[in-house]
Amino acid sequence: METISVNSVSSVAQNAGRSLWSDALRRLRRRKTAMFCFAVIIVYFSIAAFLYAVDIFHIPLAVADWSRQIGPEYQPPGAKYIFGTDFLGRSVFRKALYGAKTSITVALWASLISISIGVPLGAMAGYFRGIIDQLIVWLYTTLSCVPYILLILAFALVLADKTLDVFGWKIPLSGTATVYLAIGLTSWVGICRLIRGEVIKHKNRDYVLAARSYGAGSGRIIFRHLLPNVFHIVIINFSLRFVGFIQAEVILSFLGLGEKNSPSWGAMIDSARLDLPKGYWWEMTAATAAIFVISLALNVFGDALRDCLDPKLRTE
Amino acid sequence: MNRYWFCLSGLLLAVLLFGCAGKSSSDSNEMVLYTAHGAKIHGLDPGDIGDQTSAAYASQIYETLYDYHYLKRPYELIPQLAAEMPLISQDGLTYTIHLRNDVYFQPDKCFGKNQKRRLTAHDFVYAWKRIADIKYISKNWWVFDGRIKGLDEFREYTKTVQKGQTVDYNLPVEGLHTPDDFTLVIRLKQPWPQIIYMLAHLPTAPMAKEAVEYYGRDIINHPVGTGPYMLGRWHRGSFIELVRNPNWRGQLYPSEGEPNDFPDGFLADAGRAVPFADRLISVLIEEDPPSWFLFLQGKIDASGIPKDNFSQAIDQRRQLTDDMKRRGIRLYTFRDPSTYWIGFNMEDPVLANNKPLRKAISYAVDRDKYIELFTNNRGETAYGIIPPLMKDYDPNISKIGAHYDVARARQYAEEAKKLNGGVMPKLKFAMPGTDVVFRQRGDFLIKCFRDAGLNIEIDYMDWPTFLDKIKTKSAQMFGLGWVADIPDSENFLQLFYSRNISPGPNNFNYSSPEFDKIYEQLRVMQDCPERTELYRKAERIVIEDAPAVFILHGVAYILTHDWLYNYKPHAFAYGLSKYRRVDTEKREKYRKRFKDF
Repeated sequence: METISVNSVSSVAQNAGRSLWSDALRRLRRRKTAMFCFAVIIVYFSIAAFLYAVDIFHIPLAVADWSRQIGPEYQPPGAKYIFGTDFLGRSVFRKALYGAKTSITVALWASLISISIGVPLGAMAGYFRGIIDQLIVWLYTTLSCVPYILLILAFALVLADKTLDVFGWKIPLSGTATVYLAIGLTSWVGICRLIRGEVIKHKNRDYVLAARSYGAGSGRIIFRHLLPNVFHIVIINFSLRFVGFIQAEVILSFLGLGEKNSPSWGAMIDSARLDLPKGYWWEMTAATAAIFVISLALNVFGDALRDCLDPKLRTE
Repeated sequence: MNRYWFCLSGLLLAVLLFGCAGKSSSDSNEMVLYTAHGAKIHGLDPGDIGDQTSAAYASQIYETLYDYHYLKRPYELIPQLAAEMPLISQDGLTYTIHLRNDVYFQPDKCFGKNQKRRLTAHDFVYAWKRIADIKYISKNWWVFDGRIKGLDEFREYTKTVQKGQTVDYNLPVEGLHTPDDFTLVIRLKQPWPQIIYMLAHLPTAPMAKEAVEYYGRDIINHPVGTGPYMLGRWHRGSFIELVRNPNWRGQLYPSEGEPNDFPDGFLADAGRAVPFADRLISVLIEEDPPSWFLFLQGKIDASGIPKDNFSQAIDQRRQLTDDMKRRGIRLYTFRDPSTYWIGFNMEDPVLANNKPLRKAISYAVDRDKYIELFTNNRGETAYGIIPPLMKDYDPNISKIGAHYDVARARQYAEEAKKLNGGVMPKLKFAMPGTDVVFRQRGDFLIKCFRDAGLNIEIDYMDWPTFLDKIKTKSAQMFGLGWVADIPDSENFLQLFYSRNISPGPNNFNYSSPEFDKIYEQLRVMQDCPERTELYRKAERIVIEDAPAVFILHGVAYILTHDWLYNYKPHAFAYGLSKYRRVDTEKREKYRKRFKDF
């Protein structure tokens, strides 16, 4: 018979008492690069939140007024004009900040829409199987047959200038709303597939069988037992797809289907396209740098999150 | 990377160009003109042509009764298929036109054995009845609509012809009479002085009935005209080649022109027989960069200047850059018969009842900056609707029309606010495009409005949606322009006549009894100083009522190589290739020297 020391017992007890989430957080904190990237993401989100607050509460703040002329046209970056000025003498720096607001808004809403469609559908397909599974798989296979950008463009064109009637509350679909709806409605396939696979894997595990033996209904099993156990996949997917949504917003704005009456990074790149032959490189640089930094931060942080949350990938 | 793509696409087009030529022009004594067109040629049937590109090539094949003098300015009409200028009755209702008797259609199999088919007055009557025929669905019925006695009735008759039956073109039309084969008498419903310009307009060109009957609907691909050139080869979406018409009667290069034409070399060929070029070859190039690249390589004889290459061609002093001079390239600038504006919907309650608001907007828009930013300074500031090119242009218009003045705009905006009884609602501007150029224009307008203390939202939309909004009077403000077909200012003033409101050309839905009264008076008057005065008076009424903010009149910039002679730009005429001459040896030398991009 093997004997174990008291210290070993307490160590086992400590490990046993730590949840998946607190363990993941502990592991995440040890990764300096990931935490730095997280800080960068927080900065971007804070900028977006701050600009929303400025808009909602009408705070008269110069840095939040992107449309005001601050100097002569096409001034290069320098001490006076941080990222230079555009063709109307407006601050490129302020436009880049506003671009963060547009991009974060679009990516956040698109993520929420795609998760709220993809996760329940995936869970239902994986749990019920049979005809429901076949229907859902047919639906997402059909959707995924259409090239992604074309599908988004089609949705954006159809949704543009329409009004959404939610229980008598009319929401005009224009600019940003069109973009995040188009992206959200077309990008749930990936998460749906993942959740379906995970649910198929989990549905015959002991905890599900136990719940079923206690008389829990299908809804309760899916939403109270299965989904919390596969939710780490949603979190990882969310962080990694967020980058893709930001880039999709940039592409749509570049193609003239995005936000038109306030700046976005895609619109900035589109506008700078005409300036580049004249040697005015700073608007293009500012927008691409802003996209690069947030994309890199989200990718690094997303990878770290996956390493920490997915037990199979834990290397520490 | 882009550069390589340009080179590759240019190379392909160069292969295409030489492929079209068959053999190099240096190998023979042939003179070939090389050009490019940026849009597809839809068809070469003059009765149904509605776009400039198709008109440019059809005008080399078809001729009209009158034509513009190539060199004289102001623009002057001269007889072409007519033997002389028309004889106009005292009441201005009857035009008698004697035709030349030496005009023949080009040889074509539709004429059978008779390969020298002579043009007669009946060919005009047939062509015009054909445009009136509802079954033909011509884009050019507007030319004759409500003008010639009996022609509207003929159109009504064609509506009654059942499917499967043929329209009887022998039915007489009271206003189109041919006492003999070479005399055409036109009787009008009411005086129409502008008819003379319409008789120089491509849709009024004669058509041979045999050709229409032989080719049917396919006539758009088989033009049969009387002009100096005829269709050689035409590969839609690729290139078109025109060759000399052996049946053409011949013509001499003009010996008179403007005072500067002699020193500028435009009279060097005076009295010589035209056409000079044996063949015309034009390649379809829809994108600007490859077209520009081919021009620099000498594969195209003349070119406009793409916006992105403007600084490469033109320096700060509005002269050619040293590189262009080194290449022997010449610059021609000329005024376009065009005006661009921001229009107000005068049926919109906010704008219609608030003249100070319209005035505020008129003073808020920085026209000079707009011209600099969006046209590379290829425009003149507009103060009224009539462009400076027209002879009725008012030289004092800049003192009368609104100009950029922010202080005054703010003052008017305050007045507008009081009149409105509080803060002005957000104005909405319909922009006819969604791409970056339109978005930049939108940003510019937002800035101008904001400086004047006004709020505006830009509604970007595609062209069909925009037109629909205009026609249904649902746009509050909109950006639009007008390019005249004829050198008569009535063409611009009709845009404000109350009977022309949307869906007619009066997109402003402007209605002024005072303006209407003058317009009705001037539109039936022959050209005279009194009519010019009335034009100016009508224009001042419009300026005072401010149904639009006039932004700019276009100025065109054309570049030609120094081997291309007699390239005098013309704002209204299209069939000018017959006057162009090429020094082929010089062109070959240039091509060898500037082989590389």
